[in-house]
Formats: sequence, C-alpha cells, structure tokens
Amino acid sequence: MIDFRFEIIIEYLPFFMKGMLWTIMMSLIGVLMGTILGFFIALGKMLPSKLLRLPFIWYINFFRGTPLLVQLFLFHFAVLPAILDSVNPIVSVVVTLSLNSAAYVAEIFRAGIQSIDRGQAEAAHSLGMNKIQVMRYVILPQAFRRMIPPLGNEFIVLLKDSSLGAIIAAPELLYWGRAATGQYYRVWEPYLTVALIYLILTLTLTYLLNYVERRFATT
Amino acid sequence: MISVKNLKKSFGDLEVLKDINVEIKPKEVVVVIGPSGSGKSTFLRCLNLIESITGGSVEIEGKDITAKKTDINKLRAEVGMVFQQFNLFPHKTVIENITLPMMTVRKWKKEAAIQKAKELLDKVGLKEKADVYPDSLSGGQKQRVAIARALGMEPKVMLFDEPTSALDPEMVGEVLEVMKQLALEGMTMVVVTHEMGFAREVGDRVLFMDEGYIVEENEPQALFGNPQHERTQAFLSKVL
Ligand SMILES: Nc1ncnc2c1ncn2[C@@H]1O[C@H](COP(=O)(O)OP(=O)(O)OP(=O)(O)O)[C@@H](O)[C@H]1O
Ligand SMILES: [Mg+2]
Repeated sequence: MIDFRFEIIIEYLPFFMKGMLWTIMMSLIGVLMGTILGFFIALGKMLPSKLLRLPFIWYINFFRGTPLLVQLFLFHFAVLPAILDSVNPIVSVVVTLSLNSAAYVAEIFRAGIQSIDRGQAEAAHSLGMNKIQVMRYVILPQAFRRMIPPLGNEFIVLLKDSSLGAIIAAPELLYWGRAATGQYYRVWEPYLTVALIYLILTLTLTYLLNYVERRFATT
Repeated sequence: MISVKNLKKSFGDLEVLKDINVEIKPKEVVVVIGPSGSGKSTFLRCLNLIESITGGSVEIEGKDITAKKTDINKLRAEVGMVFQQFNLFPHKTVIENITLPMMTVRKWKKEAAIQKAKELLDKVGLKEKADVYPDSLSGGQKQRVAIARALGMEPKVMLFDEPTSALDPEMVGEVLEVMKQLALEGMTMVVVTHEMGFAREVGDRVLFMDEGYIVEENEPQALFGNPQHERTQAFLSKVL
C-alpha cells in the first residue's frame, strides 16, 4: 500500500466516469422496465385462477431462484442471439437486469397491494368503481407509498448487480476496473477506486430515496 | 323497492344466510338486529353484491341483481353502503373522497362534483373540513364524510352496517342525527345497529336475525314491547 500509484487512477479516471454513466444508465433502465413489467407480473400472480397464475409464479421462481450471472450468460449467448441480428453486451445486461428485477418488483407490488386494508377496495367497489378504477385511484396510490423503501432497496441492489456486465465486456464501471488491472497488474488502485465510486452512487441514491420517502410521508 | 326471496349465502361449507325473505318498500327504514355472527353484515353485503349470492333472488326496483346482464357497478352506485370502519380513502382529502366516485363512476365534471360535494358536506355539518385529510377527523366526522360520499352517488337505497359501533359514545349522536335527517327526507334505508333508541324512533320495521334466518319482524314498538319468539326475547333481554 505504500506505493499506491495514483497515476493509474488519474489515467483511467475518464474511463471510470464513462463506465459510471453506463452503470447508471443500465440500472435506471433496468429498474424502470422492471417496475413496469413487475406490476403486470404481480397482477398475473394475483389472478383468481390457479392455472393462469402458474406462469407468473414460475417466472418469479426462475428469476429469483437462479444466479443472475447464469441468467446473463443465458440471454447474452443463447436467447438474444436467437432473436437479434447482432448482440450488444449492454443490451444483454439491460434485458437481463430488467427481467430479473421484474421478478423482485412483482413481489414488492404484490406485498404492497395486499397490505392495503380490504375495506378500501370494498368501499370503492360499493360506490360503483370498477376494478381498474379501484386499482388506479384507491389501491395503487396507497400501496406505492409503502413500496418506496423496498423499491429503493431493489434499485441499489440492481446498481451493484450491473457490475456483472463486466464479465461479458459491457463497458460499465467494473469493466474499466478490470481493464486497468489487466494493463498494470495492479489490484488495489483500480478496484478500490471502482468500489469507492459504487459507494458514492449507492449513498447518493440512499439519500435521494430518504428524501422521496419523507416527501410522500407528509402528503 | 327491494324484494329478497329465499336468499342463501355460504362461505365454503359454512351456510351463513339460510333462507332470507323480505320486502322493503320505498322510503321505508328497516332496522336489522341480532346476535354477533347471525349474518347481518352478510345480508347487507349481498344487497349490493360485495358478496356473491349463493341462492335465491334479490330484486331492486324490479331488476334481478344476480341476472347476468346486470351491470354490477351501476347497481352498486345506486345502493349506497356505509361501513362500521368508515373506509375513507386516507390519501384523499375529505372533498376528494366525495368527488372521486362522482367523477369516475357518474362522470361528473370536476367543478360540478366539487359544487355538489360541498353541498353534501354542508348537509352533514362538515363544510369547513373539505380540504383536510381523513386522519385529522374524529370518528364521528369520518362517518359523516362516509355518508356524504355515499350520497354523492345519489343512491336509491342506503345500507348502514353498524355505522356507530366503532365510535366513542359522545360521537354516536351526531351520526345518528344525520341518518335521522336522511330518513325524514324519504331515503330508503336498511340499518344494522345496536342503537335500540334509533330503531324505535326512526325505524318503520325491525328485523331480528339469528343463525341465518329472519326469526321475527315487526314494528319497533311491537317487536321490542312484545317479542313473540323465544330467541328474540332472549336477545332483547340481553341488550335492552
Ligand atoms: N368472508 C367470509 N368468509 C368466511 N366466513 C365468513 C366471511 N364473512 C363472514 N363469515 C362468517 O359468517 C358468519 C356471519 O357473519 P356476519 O359478519 O354476517 O355476522 P354479523 O351478524 O354481521 O355479526 P356481527 O354482529 O359480529 O357483525 C360468521 O360466522 C362469520 O364468521
Ligand atoms: Mg356485522
């Protein structure tokens, strides 16, 4: 540690910054797509028919029950090449993160929706509101408030998980850490710097989420 | 107005309503009493299809509410319901609680809905509470808002399921007063309650329910003063 070579960090800083932007982008799209998809999967999992629920249950089982890295390989080397003409590692990461986080977000939605007192839906229905109106105006706004902390948590996990993209050469933050390590045969300078940047990102996110939570709590 | 014939309702193996028959006339105030678990709530909930009906028929203004072609949401809008637990929407202000169903179900324009909601709040004595959230209201105030919200749909019938049972004693009066006013205006009402004073004063008829049947029904004076069935006598001796 005595000969900590700052010049490596200085040299790679522009790449780390670029990588950081990709990391943010990929996680942001992942969490957005995951939230939209997760909502519908949650609805699917709450269908009255057991048979219709089954695909949604197994979607969640698969994405929560297998390693994210394996899912990433599966999509990057098998599924996406079969659908797309050319495979781009960033696209693979975004797709995998979206589908994976959808499984977790689905459970967050379901827990949030089911935590709302039954009397709310009953009262809304008794006034003549249809299922969609009850969901949109009565259940979801209340459920969403309770979902902010677990959703934020999911976002933070996603941000760190996006680093798996380095293994399929998606040029995100950790990828550049590995590149610097490869070039200089030095472990500490690149990896500590990368870790510090992840820490700054997740801490910023934590503060942001606390702020959002407080805002929602007071209205 | 409401005609219930051989109404049955089961939850799985548990038969809660066994054979309910009753005719309710327009402008009539019918009070339902009976021991806990006798099926009073379930009976009310069947009348606006919060619970599905297992057997028999319910007609409201000549329309069979269980018929396949019945628009359930339209029916429910015409049958107002007030719950023991108020069930106000906590994320909406008082006036939004009232305007939301008016705008989404009745398709009122916002300005018109607000106008009408203000009149309703005035009617239940809560004009000055329009813009607060339900959390800051007392139980009695919440229940009056819930009544105003149901009235916003301009229902033909109002169902009340123990509207004062969750209230502190000093707030029971203000809610009963609003209900009494409604009755005077000619609203058809079915009220499950333990408030025997209200039943005597406002009720046109009292139904005594036990174990899924209407065991006895009569005018309040007669039913309270001279109950015919043993079970009615036993119940009344406990609550009066
Ligand atoms: N959703 C349900 N699933 C299963 N059983 C139910 C359900 N709702 C009510 N019951 C049962 O039906 C019976 C009658 O319930 P109900 O709520 O109609 O009684 P009640 O006369 O309103 O009683 P209380 O005075 O306590 O409110 C009870 O035994 C209750 O446990
Ligand atoms: Mg009850």
